[in-house]
Amino acid sequence: MSSLYLWGIFIGSLHAMVPIILTATGETIGESAGLFNIGLEGIILFSALTGALGAEAGGPIIGLLVGIGTGFAIGSIFGLINSYFKGVQLIAGVGINLFSAGMVAFWLIHLGVPGHHAVPEESRLIDLYTPLGNFSPMIIVAILMPILVYWLLFRTKLGLKIRAVGENPQAADVAGINIYLVRFLSTAIGASLAGLAGAYISVDWIGSVTKEISAGRGFIALATVVFSGLNPLLVLLGGFIFGFFDSLAVWVSTMPAVQRVIPWQLVSMAPYIVTLLIVAGVIGRVRFPAAMGIPYERE
Amino acid sequence: MSVSESKGGIKLQNSKVRRGDIILEGRGICKDFPGVWEHLVLDHVDISIKAGEIHTVLGENGAGKTVIANILSGFYSLSEGQIYAKGKPVYLKSPRDGIKYGVGMVHQELALVKPFTVAQNIALGAAESDLFFPIPEIERRVRELSKKYNLYIDPKSRIEDLSAGEQQRAEIIKVLYHEPEVLILDEPTSLISVDAEHLFVVLQSMAAMGYGILFITHKIEEALQIGDRVTVLRLGKHIGTRESSKTDKSELVKLMFGEHTPVHLERKPVKSEKVVLEVKDLKALGPEGETALQGISFTVREGEIFGIAGVSGNGQSELVEVITGLRHATGGQIIIHGKDYTNHSPGDIIRAGVSHIPEKRREMGVIEAMTVAENVVLKDVRVYPFSKGSFLNLPHITQHTNDIVSRFGALVSDLWKSQTRILSGGNIQRLILGRETWRMPKFIAAAYPTHGLDAKAIEHTWELFMQLRESGTSFLLISEDLDEIMALSDKIAVMVRGKIVGIFDGARAKREEIGLMIATEA
Repeated sequence: MSSLYLWGIFIGSLHAMVPIILTATGETIGESAGLFNIGLEGIILFSALTGALGAEAGGPIIGLLVGIGTGFAIGSIFGLINSYFKGVQLIAGVGINLFSAGMVAFWLIHLGVPGHHAVPEESRLIDLYTPLGNFSPMIIVAILMPILVYWLLFRTKLGLKIRAVGENPQAADVAGINIYLVRFLSTAIGASLAGLAGAYISVDWIGSVTKEISAGRGFIALATVVFSGLNPLLVLLGGFIFGFFDSLAVWVSTMPAVQRVIPWQLVSMAPYIVTLLIVAGVIGRVRFPAAMGIPYERE
Repeated sequence: MSVSESKGGIKLQNSKVRRGDIILEGRGICKDFPGVWEHLVLDHVDISIKAGEIHTVLGENGAGKTVIANILSGFYSLSEGQIYAKGKPVYLKSPRDGIKYGVGMVHQELALVKPFTVAQNIALGAAESDLFFPIPEIERRVRELSKKYNLYIDPKSRIEDLSAGEQQRAEIIKVLYHEPEVLILDEPTSLISVDAEHLFVVLQSMAAMGYGILFITHKIEEALQIGDRVTVLRLGKHIGTRESSKTDKSELVKLMFGEHTPVHLERKPVKSEKVVLEVKDLKALGPEGETALQGISFTVREGEIFGIAGVSGNGQSELVEVITGLRHATGGQIIIHGKDYTNHSPGDIIRAGVSHIPEKRREMGVIEAMTVAENVVLKDVRVYPFSKGSFLNLPHITQHTNDIVSRFGALVSDLWKSQTRILSGGNIQRLILGRETWRMPKFIAAAYPTHGLDAKAIEHTWELFMQLRESGTSFLLISEDLDEIMALSDKIAVMVRGKIVGIFDGARAKREEIGLMIATEA
């Protein structure tokens, strides 16, 4: 019986890790190029809504693609402001979060039950049925994505360019690399993965949109990036740890017997506290690109 | 870019180019930085580089040497004028355009990504596909270039693990990888005082192969020694171009400064017997935890300049840091005016009347993101009249900064608007000198105070030190320049591997004697 519980928590962990891993992997690309996007939370939230609407209009795959497109669009604005116009990244990121929170809250008033929009069952992504249980196919995507991005960053010349732009933009400039374009595309492509994460939440995993649906996952993804030290393979590990505690919290909330011993509110804090501890533990030991957050000016 | 090898030397991309032909030329080059500088940084400068020659550009700090180099390599845009590559007008919008027309530049602050290996740095600029890069192929080419140009470097080593000289070699190889016809080197000897001779040999052999080389320097001897032609810039203007064989040091000095300025330092003997600084058996560790000071003892009297000669990296930096409270002493004592200040805070030591002209002027001397005025009053801002209560006294700060800027001849654009980072190293040093000396401190620890300054600024600094000495200020002077130590010091100590190996009387010491001690004890 107890091993069945464990298995349930494990499957729950796999589902909960997907948005963290996708978002953090994308952010790893952007941060490698020197852009720090604190607006991931907003991108997840907004894409959850647009993804849900896309899925209802054209099916789950369209929904996920709309999420990616939403992430890319918001990421492009962020990239434009910070790469080409040399804006302040923190402010632009906060702007994205405020914009998304406002827009989603506004739209939710007009969609069915105010404040809560459920995605119809026929518009949601179908699980893979296996003898061991039902899995979302997005879990496979979430496991493959960091491996793909690791290969991109550390085994290709494009990756070398991205990292050079984040580490020493002047040297990259001298080498003839278009710094502004590399930064713009890195952050926009990174944001598309956050968009995919948002659409996954509404179209696949939870199946509904509320204005709290992102639940801090954008910030936890940022913490995961810190934990990983910009190594996408460690993002995989960090994402699973968070997913596990998230899943544990959900499990406790469904078990009145356990709740009598530990209040579920306390357990639901666990993912956030664990994040805090992990990040506090690695601060100062991981090395970030030297030019992170600094706009590039040649003259 | 096609990889073309030939046994006899470089195969010029246009085989019609012959030795002596002009391969790169700038005519009437002007450059302004609107909003930063009110005058033209370059004012109608003409310059040409011929195949097979070394052309040196000589000038003091702020003459515009680096700017012309950056323009010719495509790093900066030009405001007016025209660049010609092999006689055809070209428009360089980025370093990539420079590479396209065969211009490669070795920057003074090397353009290398530190956590990457030598080969990875080269792969960045190589024009192969975006997904795959043939590291083994690049490594092979690096070894080949290393051998051909006698610039040894391991392509697999990380830049941050290399010494300054090795990093420079990596940078030169990186530029050569693109098979340039023109090689521009911006103050290459500022990084590697020891390896300079080797570099000269390499450059001369490259010129013999047919490269055109533009060599930027502020050292007259160097310009004469290595250049076939010398172009002198002064405050952005083209003063003249001479054949090295038809000019000499005194003509170049005249061109550079417009006048003769001989240096002569006379002094009265130290009168006082009062000891200002006493260092007893001082021990300390270096940044990597290695032994840096192994028991240093000396005293500095009132109005005395105590010079420390020696090759840098023998504990001089640590000595100054321990005395100014920036580094922990593991043993021994520092006594200032009879009071023990061992391991006191830097603030305590400043209040004891110790000024510090630090070695790393950009990192330790100023806060680059702050304005000129803010940096000038950095140490004084707590007290009246620089502040009244909690508020800054802006009129007084402005007046004080203006005073220091004009007294030290620093070229700054706006006291309150422009960040200090845009200033040249020499101008930053002028501000630091002003800040550290205007109060006529009792003691100044000066580390490499004139390093990288032009001859005129060096002379001004020396005069200032002598005036302060006259009024009773004592100095601990650290310098790699033996002439400076000999010109200024009342006593000269030679420091080798964290120890003082000899102390000489400044008036009677012989250059050869000290030089021999530095060379033999090390």
